[in-house]
Amino acid sequence: MARLRFRAAEHSAVAAVFRRAGLLCLPAVLACAAAACSGGDPERPRGLEERLDRIEQLLAGAGADLEQEADAGKDRIAELEAELDRAERQIQQVLDASSALLELGVVDSTLRTVINRGRLLCGVKQTQPLFGKREADGSVAGFDIEFCKAIAAAVLGDADAVDYVDASHAPSRYKLLADGKIDVLIRTTAITASRDRELGVDFAQPTFYAGQGFAVRRDSGIAQLRDLEGKVICVTLGAQEWNLEYHFGNLRLFWRKLALSGSAGASGPSPVWDLFFKGLCDALTADVSDLASWISVRDDADDYTVLREVISREPFAPGVRDYDSEWKDVVNWVVRGLIAAEEMGITSGNVDALAGSPPNWGAARLLAVWLGGAEVAPLVKLDSVDAQFIQRAIRAVGNYGEIYDRTIGGVIPRACTLNALWNEDKRGCPPGTGGILYAPTYR
Amino acid sequence: MRRMLAVGVLALVAAVAGACSGGGDEGEGRGETLRTVIDRGQLYCGVKQTQALFGLKTGDGDPVGFDIEFCKAIAAAVLGDAEAVRYVDVSDGTTRFELLADGGIDVLIRTTTITSSRDAGLSVDFTTPTFYTGQSFAVRAESPYLSTADMTDEPTICVQSGTTTEQNLADHFTELGLGYRPLGGTDQATREAFTSGRCDAWTADQSNLAAQLSGLPNADEFRILSELISKEPLGPGVRDYDSDWKDVVQWVVYGVIAAEEAGITSANVDAYAADPPNTTIARLLGVPFGGASVADHGFGQKGADAEYQIDPQFIQRVIRAVGNYGEIYEREIGDVIPRACTLNALANDDSVDCPAGTGGIMYALPYR
Repeated sequence: MARLRFRAAEHSAVAAVFRRAGLLCLPAVLACAAAACSGGDPERPRGLEERLDRIEQLLAGAGADLEQEADAGKDRIAELEAELDRAERQIQQVLDASSALLELGVVDSTLRTVINRGRLLCGVKQTQPLFGKREADGSVAGFDIEFCKAIAAAVLGDADAVDYVDASHAPSRYKLLADGKIDVLIRTTAITASRDRELGVDFAQPTFYAGQGFAVRRDSGIAQLRDLEGKVICVTLGAQEWNLEYHFGNLRLFWRKLALSGSAGASGPSPVWDLFFKGLCDALTADVSDLASWISVRDDADDYTVLREVISREPFAPGVRDYDSEWKDVVNWVVRGLIAAEEMGITSGNVDALAGSPPNWGAARLLAVWLGGAEVAPLVKLDSVDAQFIQRAIRAVGNYGEIYDRTIGGVIPRACTLNALWNEDKRGCPPGTGGILYAPTYR
Repeated sequence: MRRMLAVGVLALVAAVAGACSGGGDEGEGRGETLRTVIDRGQLYCGVKQTQALFGLKTGDGDPVGFDIEFCKAIAAAVLGDAEAVRYVDVSDGTTRFELLADGGIDVLIRTTTITSSRDAGLSVDFTTPTFYTGQSFAVRAESPYLSTADMTDEPTICVQSGTTTEQNLADHFTELGLGYRPLGGTDQATREAFTSGRCDAWTADQSNLAAQLSGLPNADEFRILSELISKEPLGPGVRDYDSDWKDVVQWVVYGVIAAEEAGITSANVDAYAADPPNTTIARLLGVPFGGASVADHGFGQKGADAEYQIDPQFIQRVIRAVGNYGEIYEREIGDVIPRACTLNALANDDSVDCPAGTGGIMYALPYR
C-alpha cells in the first residue's frame, strides 16, 4: 500500500474519527480503516460502507441485467464505475490517513485506550491465594497482580492505576478480553496451541512455568521425584491421576495411590487434600500453583514444601488480543524487562542509583539512560511510552526475583525450578530440572 | 478490466469490514499471509546466503543451512511440500525488515537477533527462538585461555569496530576488572588479524565465529570458548498484526522441539502416527488415540474458509521433511558447535553434567 505523506490539516479530524470509533480492532492499516467504517462514526466512514454495500448489490444486479438488457447494462456499469471511482478515492483517503496515523503512532489501540483512560483494566483471578486473591478489605494481591502493577507503572507511571476486573470464572475470561472489558488477562492462564490459535488471544512471554507437581512435608526427607519410590501419593481422580500413572510408569517408579474425586483450585482444595494434611499420604500431587496457594493459607504452611520437578506443562502468561502487536510488545517487554533486571542485579532498592550511574551498557540500555556522556542507542521505542518505562516498573514492583520471592517463594523454593534464571548453576539440581527464564535482548 | 478492478476493490472492502466485524466472525478477513502463501503455492522465505551453517549458497542450487531447514518446515506444514520455497536473498541485513514489511517475504529466517528495539520499533513480530547464541571468543588451540576470567595478561582482542560487540566487550572486561587492548576493523579484517596471529583472541557471535572458522583449511588450529557474554536469541520474524500467520510459524517451531522431546524423528514418525503411544504424541501428530477422535490442538480445517487453514496433521509433514529439532541441529550445526550444555539443548536433558551456568533451555509450549 502506498504510504502517502500525511496532510496535517486532516490529522486531528481523522484522529478524532478513530478515537470516537473506540477501536477494538487495532492499528493494522486495514483494520483501522474497517473500524472507521463500522465503528459508528456519523459521517464519512459509515456512509462509505453503506455506499459500498449498495454498489456491491447494484453490481450484482447489473451483472444479471446484462444478460437480458446489454445496453441498459452498459449504462449501468458506466454509472457504477463513476461511483466506484469516487468510492475508491475515499477509501484511499481513509487508508492513507490511517497509514499516516499509524506512522505517527496516534491511532487508537489498546495502548492508546489505556493512556487515554488513565487506567489499566487487568483481568485477574480473585480466588487464588499467592496468584490473585481479593482480600476482605477489597484489595487484591498476588504474583499475577504484581504484573498488572508493573504494566500500569510502565505505561501510566502509576502502579495503582489499575482496575482489577474479576476473571475468576475460567470459561468467560477470553470473552472479557475479546469484548474489550479488559486490556490484559493475567490469571494463571497456560499458553496452549489451541488457545493461541482459536481464542483470539496472543500471549506474552511466560511469567510462571507451572505444571503438575508434588507437595511434601519439609521433614519427610523427600527431595526429588525419585524419593517417592514406594510412597503413598494423594491424587484427585481424573487427568492428574492418569498423568501421574503415565509418568511414573515411564520412570519405572513404584508408588501407592490414595485417590478421591473432586476438583481443586476454584474455591479451595479438593477433598483428597485433607487426607494429605492429616498425614495419610506422603505426597500430594496437583498443579504447583494450586499447591502453593492452598499451603500458603495454612497456619502450618512452613511445614510443607513443593518439589522442583513437574510432570506436565502449564506455562502461565499474560494474554492480550490477537492483532494488536503494539500492545503485545508493551506487555511482553515489561515482563522481559523484569527478568533482564534480575539478570543484571537491578532491584527496587538500587534502581535509582544505577539509573544515575549505570555500571555498563546493558544496564544503561535497559534503564534508558546515558552512559559516560554517550547516548544510549538504540533505545526501545514504544509509541507513547517513554523509554524509561522499565525503570518505573522496577521501582514499583522490583525485578522478577523480587516479585517471586515476595509472593510464591515462601512455598515453592525457586532454585532448580523452570522459573529460575537460565544461567543459574544447575549442578546439584535433580535430573532434568533447572531454570529456563531468559529475556531476549534489550537493545 | 474495470470490472476486475471493481471486484478487487469490493474484495478489499469486504476484507476491511471483516477485519473488524467483531462478534462471531473470528478470523474472517484476517490471516492474510497464510492466505497469500496458500494461494501462491510457494513460501517466500528471506534468508542469508553468505553464512556457513545457517544460510549459505554455493553454485546454482538453493541455499543450505540451519535457517533454511525452518523455511522447508513451514512450507511442508502449509503447502505439503518442503521444496515449495522461494529463497529471497537478504544477506544484506539492512533491507531485511523493509522486505518483510512490504510483503516481499512471508517470513524472515536469517540469524536475526530478537531485540526490543526491533520488536517494538519495526513492524516485525518474532516467534520463539530457534537458536540461542551470544558473543564469544575464538582463541588459538594452544592458548591457555579457557574463559575470559583467564585473560589476566591484558590480551589483544580483535573486535569489529562500531558494533554492539565492542560495547559488550568493554562491559564484560570492566565487570571482570581486567584490561585488554582492542584491535578494531571490519568483520573480515578482524578475522584476518586473528588468524594471522596479531591478536590473542577474536570476539564475535559464537555462531559467526564457528561458521567462519569452519571454512578455514587450518580450522583445527583454533578453538571457541563455550562462554557467552551477550544474549543473541535468533528467531523467525513475521509481520506485526498478522497473528494468524504468526501462530503457524510459532507452532511449527514448537512442533519440531516438541517432537524431539517426545522422541519422534523423521524415521519413526510414520510408525508413531499409525500407533501413537500416548495422547501427547497423538495430539502433536493430529491422529486419534485409543479409539477417541482426533485430539484437538487448535489447528484444523473448519468453517467457511477451511481451505485457508492448516490441516491438523501438519507437524507430521514437517517431521517427515526435516526431522525434529535435534535432527536439524545435528545435521546442520552439530559438528561445529556441539549442542550438549548449550542453551540449545532441551531443557529437560540430563544426559550430561554441565558446567555452572550452562545447560539447555529449549522447551516447547504444550500442544493441546
